[in-house]
Formats: sequence, structure tokens, C-alpha cells
Amino acid sequence: MNGKPQRDPRVDQAAATDESLLDAHERLLGRHPDDGARYRLLPIGILFALSALVLFSGTYLNRYAGHYSASIYNENAKPSIGGAAAPKMDPLAVGEIQFKNVCITCHQAGGQGIPGTYPPLAGSEWVTGSPARAVRIVVYGLKGDVHVQGHLFNAAAMPVFGQQVTGSVYNWNDERIAAVLTYVRHAWGNNADPVSADDVTAIRKAVGDRREMTEAELEQVK
Amino acid sequence: MKDEVTAADSSSRAPLLVLLLAALAWLVAAGLLGLVASIQLHSPRFLSDCPVLTYGRMAALAETAFVYGWLANAGLALALWILGRLAGEPLRAQGWAVGGAVFWNLGVAAALGGVATGDATGFALLGLPAYVHMILLFSYSAIAVTGILSWSGRMRRVPYASQWYAAAALFTFPWILSIAHVMLFSAPARGVVQAVAAGWYAQCAWTLWLAPLGLSVAYYVVPRATGRVLPSYEFASLGFWCLVFVGGLTGGRHLLGGPVPAWIASVAVVSAALLLFHVLIVFLNLRGCFSGGGIALRFTAFGIAAYAVGALADAATSFHGVAAQTQFTYFDEAARQLALYGAVSTMLFGGIYFAVPRITGRAWFSAGLVRAHLLLTIGGILLLAGALCGAALVQGRDLADSAVAFAAIAHHTRPWLAAATAAQAILLLGNMALAMNFVGTACRILNVSEPASFNPPSAMEAHAP
Amino acid sequence: MRNDAVFFLGLCAALAISWTGIVLGSHAQLGFLAPYYDDNQGTSFPQWMPGAAAQGQLVYRDLGCAACHTQQVRRPGFGYDQARGWGERQSVARDYIYQPFPQLGLARVGPDLANIADRKPTAPDEEDLLRMLYAGSEGMPPYRFLFEERRVGAGAQHSDLALKLTGAPEPRPGWEIVPSARARALVAYLASLKTTYDYPEAFPFVPPKPEGALPEKAAAPAPAAAPAPAKSGGSP
Repeated sequence: MNGKPQRDPRVDQAAATDESLLDAHERLLGRHPDDGARYRLLPIGILFALSALVLFSGTYLNRYAGHYSASIYNENAKPSIGGAAAPKMDPLAVGEIQFKNVCITCHQAGGQGIPGTYPPLAGSEWVTGSPARAVRIVVYGLKGDVHVQGHLFNAAAMPVFGQQVTGSVYNWNDERIAAVLTYVRHAWGNNADPVSADDVTAIRKAVGDRREMTEAELEQVK
Repeated sequence: MKDEVTAADSSSRAPLLVLLLAALAWLVAAGLLGLVASIQLHSPRFLSDCPVLTYGRMAALAETAFVYGWLANAGLALALWILGRLAGEPLRAQGWAVGGAVFWNLGVAAALGGVATGDATGFALLGLPAYVHMILLFSYSAIAVTGILSWSGRMRRVPYASQWYAAAALFTFPWILSIAHVMLFSAPARGVVQAVAAGWYAQCAWTLWLAPLGLSVAYYVVPRATGRVLPSYEFASLGFWCLVFVGGLTGGRHLLGGPVPAWIASVAVVSAALLLFHVLIVFLNLRGCFSGGGIALRFTAFGIAAYAVGALADAATSFHGVAAQTQFTYFDEAARQLALYGAVSTMLFGGIYFAVPRITGRAWFSAGLVRAHLLLTIGGILLLAGALCGAALVQGRDLADSAVAFAAIAHHTRPWLAAATAAQAILLLGNMALAMNFVGTACRILNVSEPASFNPPSAMEAHAP
Repeated sequence: MRNDAVFFLGLCAALAISWTGIVLGSHAQLGFLAPYYDDNQGTSFPQWMPGAAAQGQLVYRDLGCAACHTQQVRRPGFGYDQARGWGERQSVARDYIYQPFPQLGLARVGPDLANIADRKPTAPDEEDLLRMLYAGSEGMPPYRFLFEERRVGAGAQHSDLALKLTGAPEPRPGWEIVPSARARALVAYLASLKTTYDYPEAFPFVPPKPEGALPEKAAAPAPAAAPAPAKSGGSP
């Protein structure tokens, strides 16, 4: 320290040489006995601060790191309690896709069917009536005579769509069947309640495995 | 007793003056670009009809010129100077440093040209187009050769804190740039991994490159100017390793709540908190700078204070509760300015004021310009950070209220952003004062025969106070 | 510190740890993320960007739009994103796997654009976006250099692409404003930005807030974050 209170801002004076700076600090890093037995609180304080930060870090990571999972975006979520949910779907949109992929071949784009061969869906009492009947037709298929809007159809059979049903070529899961039923019960001016996947599951479980339905059997179902 | 101006100063003039001159030219250029970008933030129609001057490019240009033009050149110059001084001998391989400096600045100029004409990458702190990475990498390494030679030829076996930080900055930057280059440009990672890699690069550039450059200067200037041994110096290495090991892990800080798994943000939160330990040590070591002194000490003191405040703000805003208010607002910009300008730049200013009289052997050209620079810098940074925080508060409040349209937010933040523009203008004035002063001083080497008068420094007290 | 080799090895180790931990860790988890095949819809998500949109992303990047616009929606209960109609779910990594240059952004001087093509209640169409680009607003600069001013009438043909401008930025009489190829690519990109498909990872099960939560957890997840469990199971 040169002790001059008024300094020239054009030259910053140094108060120590490089060698003495290196010397003094090197000596501090060496092992040096605590000659004066001056116990200092600072080292303990620094150690304490470090431990506190490490403790905090560990706790925080343990709680909020989302198990380092790639699919956990919310640090409050815990995969051990509940996993990711299935994607939400709009049954009408999914049903429309399925209808246009498969059903449209026979029942036609407007749901009007082909007179004498394939029964219509638009305005059909089977479609908009009891959901229990409609579900059975799709899950198990339908064979033989069927009367729709007063016309007789018996040229073709409704294929089997349900999963775990003998003779099923499509093996659609219950959600898909519910979606397509919801769609046909809502499209082309039809206006019936949606069908839920749970309804389909319940019917499939109750009826079990069997061959195609007939009109007479279906009329027993309310 | 040795002379204060040593062979390490006068014989190492060429590379140091080249780097410093380039640094100050970029500083003024970055100030101009930043001023235009700052005006465009509150008056979007300003210069909007020219594609080169559109805001997105101006912001990237200002940042690139500031970081790779000013901070890199000045930081390298001072790191080389400090390593040379502490080696006690003139810099070796000076040709490498001069050549590296020339190519580095050509590379930065090419980068700015690229960004202006549409090759910006859009990554924070890495706006450099991919094609300049190689030239920057090699020229930086060439400059670093000189520094590393000084490190290995040092006069004591145990290096001093300034040497650790300087060597770390010289050593790590080429690595992080090449890793970022591979993961973002030559074999770009898929989707959001790019954002993670870019965030990692930005944090590493800060914690392993820019902050060490500043701290190296501060660790040198403070004991030399005060003449006192750093208190608690035995913990300095702990602080250093804390910065080096934890710094890069804060990479996901800005991705909080974003489309990356939660652990990335959580690790960053924890690391930002752990970094406070490093800041605590730095603060304890360098607290002597607050007792007043010359110009260099005052700049350093402001830099240390800004460094500590910035680290606290970083840690606070990485928590979800705070981030919900501050994320994506001008607060990020305020914190960035406080870190790059308030902390690192002022530490480098302090180093420049300390070093230039020794390198040139001449006193600064004008005492008035020195004082003006100090006042304008401190006033400008405080105003800038304050104005951006004010804008962030208004913006955060308005964003949270979904009834407020964005035009209304722009209207509400306008006075604050205008104040930030004023701050940018003040800073630009200050930097022009420094640049003029530097050119004047450098010219004195030729004109003025009589060297600056240095008091002979005494030996340092051996024990900590 | 006494040994140079240890010093530089330490630096290398520090770099390696943060690089492997953060960058390679997330690369291993997300770098090979596959699209999500929806069996019921018979297609996979996300879908590829149309070519014009991929070109538009380059325009978006080179003009630095990300300086003011983010493209990441935060989850319900964390921030205001849902209240502003920017998207009903949070953005997840899978949304970006087909984007060569994901533009997540860091600032919201302007609105988030991750889902701008499906914004509720009304999403802007391409014509609206072009008008916004041309006219600017109080908070956004006009991008006139993306448009051409062309003379019409007297032999010059009217362009199909000309903007239908009403109000202040009307062109001079006898002239029309035609978007350049860059403007059309940019708008095609913006119009392709939608995150409508609900990936399972966007809807994690959120347990009720624990009693002993750390104090900084101010952001309580809204109950809306939990999906309705009615339609679970069955779907692959």
C-alpha cells in the first residue's frame, strides 16, 4: 500500500510484486501448523454451507428428478404411483377412420347400403335402436334374413369383428368397435347415444364366444 | 526489488495490443448493434425494411460481436498477460498469438457477415454460422498455445488462482466448441436434443470460458492492487473445482417446463444452487476489493458484486415457482446483461486499466476519460439491468393475464425498454471513451518518450489478515 | 493443483461429466425417439412437415424469429399457456423429432407458435399470417422485404397471390402486394405447426401434492392435468 489517498487514475499503482504474491499464496496452500492456536469459525462455516447445499441437492433430485425417465415431463409425477395415460381419442374421428377403411365397402359412403344386398345404416332401426343389439351385430356378425326399414336382406352376412371370437377376421378391440358404433349412430342424420368401450366389453364377456347372430336371436335382446 | 514494468510486459506488447485493439473495436461495434436492437425492441418499425437489420438478426449480431469480438479478445489478451507476468518471462511463441488473433478476428467478422445475410443458427451464445467454427477453433488454439507455454514455464510449481482460471479458459473453449459443432451441425442430434446441447454449450461457454476469463483477471488485480493476501485463499481451489464440475450441469436451466424430461431441468436447478458455493468462495476471497482503491479495483468490485447478484438471480429463477413468472420474459435478458456486461466485462475493464500502462509503459492518455468510463459503465449497467427487470415485471404480470393482448404488453413495457435503450447509449458512450483513451495511450508509445511512473511495489505480507 | 497432469485431467473430467450427463444422457433417451403409431387411426405421429414448411423453417431460423417467439407449450398448471389458448397439452420431445431445426426459443415478446395452426378459438389461416407479416403490429415489425410491390392493370396481369389488404397498409392505387416465395414458405411452415395429437407422455399421472413438499414448489399441478381415466386399457 502506497498510502496515497489521492491516486492518479491514469496509472493504477501495484502494492505487491508478482513474486511476493505467488510466494504468499503458495505458502497458504502448504501445510502449515496452527501456531497461534487461533481456531477459526470460517472453515467450519464453509464446510457447513457446502454440506447444506449438497444435502439440498440430493433431496431435490431424489424428489423431483422424475426417476430420470425419458417420458416424465412433470417433476411431480411418480411412475411408481401411476404411469402415463393412454392417448385420448375422439371416438367420432376414430370411428370415421374405421368406417372408411372397412365398413364403407358394403354400407357405402352415405351409409345407404345397396338395395337388396347390403342393408342401409342411415336411419336403420338396428343402428339407432338398442345399443345391446348393435354391439352384438358388430362383435359376433349376423347371418340369414334380416329386415331393415321393411326390406328383406339375406344375400350377404355381416362379418365377425370382435376380439376373441371364433371366426373373427378383424379382431377389433372393444374401443374400436365402440368408436365405429358411436360414429354410425351419429352420422347421416342418425342421432343415438354413443356406445362406450365398457359396454362392448360387458356384452362380449356376458355372451362369451359364439357363432354369428340371427335376426330372431337379436330380437330377444332388448 | 524488481521494476514494476518487466520484460514480460514490454516484450509481449505485440500480441497483447493487437488483441486489445480488436477487442475494443468489437466492443464499440457491439454497442452500436445492441443500441439498434434495443431501439427495435420498443419501436419495431425502426429499420425494419432492410432484411440485414431485422431484429432477430440484430440481436444475434450484437451478441456475437460482444461475446466473440469483445469478451474473447480482451479476455485472451489479459489471460496471456497474466500468465506471462506470473511466469516472469516474456511470452513465448508470440507469432502464434498474433497470427491466431488475426484469424480469430477474421473469423468473427465472417460470422457477423454470415448472420447478417441469413446464416444465423438461432442458438443462444452460438449464433456463429457453422462454417466459421473451424477457423475460430484453430485460431483460438493458436492463441492458447502461447498461454499454455507460459503456464508450463511458470516460476512456481504451485500455480496461483489466476493461472488456474486462465488455463481452464484457454483449455476448455476449443473442446466445448467442437462438441457443440458435432452435436448441432456436423451430425445434428434429433429434435429437442439440439436444444439441450445448445443449452449445455451456452452454460459451458459462460461457466468454463467467460467467467473464468473474468475471474482470472479479478484474482490477479485484487491482491496486486491492495497488497494484501487473499483471505480464505486455502478454499479458492474448492471454489474453482466447484465451478468447473458443476457449471456445465446447469445446461438445462432454460428448458424448465419445456419439452424435455423433468430430470434435465431438475439437475440444472440443483447445479445452479451448488454454484452458489463457488460464488461464496470467490466473494470471500476477493472481498478486499470493496475497500476502495484505484480504477481497476473499482471496476473489479463492481464486477464481483454483479457476479454474485447474477448467480443468486440464476439460482432463484431456476426454481419452478419463480420461473413461472420470469421464464421467457426480459428477465433472462437482464440476467444475461448482468453476467456478460456487469460481471465479466467490468472485471476485464479493471484488468485493462491495470495492464495497459504496464504493457505500453505509458500512463493512460486522459484521466477524464477514465473517470467518465467508470461512471458511464456503472450507471449504464445499473440502469440497463434495472430497466430490463422493470420490463420483465410488467411483461410477466401481463402474460399471466390471458386477457391482455400482446400489443398491450408491448405498449406497457415501452417506457422500460426505452430506459434500456438509454442505458445502451450510455454504455456505448463509455466504451467509446475507453476506445479513444486506449488509442491515445497506444499512440503515446511513439510520441512520448518518458515512461509512466510506477511506485516500486513492496513485498506482500505473508499471512492472511 | 501441484500436478499439471492432474489439473488438466480434472478439467477434462469435468467437461466429460457434464457432457455425458446432460447431452449424451438426453441423446440416449431422446435422440432415437420413434414416432408414435396409433393403431386406431392407422397412422403414426408426428407427421412429416410438408416440403414448403421445411423450407419455411429455414426462413424462420435465418430471420431470427426465435428471438421473440417460443415454440414450446408448458404444461397445464405451470404458467399461462393454456389460458392463452396456445395448446391444451404440454409440448413433448416427440413433437419435434421430424424438425431439422427445432426452434424452441427463449423469449416471449410475441406469442408462442408451437400450435399456431390449431389455436383456439380461431386459428389464423395462411392469408391472415401473410397480412400479419406484411402489416406488423405494435409489438412486431412489418416484414415488407418479404413482399413485392407490383404494378397492375395496363398490360400487367393481376397475381392470384396478391394480398387482400384492407385498412392502413393498403398499397398505392394501381399496385398490388405479392408475397415472395420466402414469405409463402414461412407461412406454410407456420400453418404446419400444430400439436394436436395427444401422446401418452404428455399426460402423466399426477399424484396429489405431498404434504412435505419442498417450499419452492409453488406450481401446483392443476387437477385438469390428470386425464380422464375412462378410456384406458385396450389400446396398444
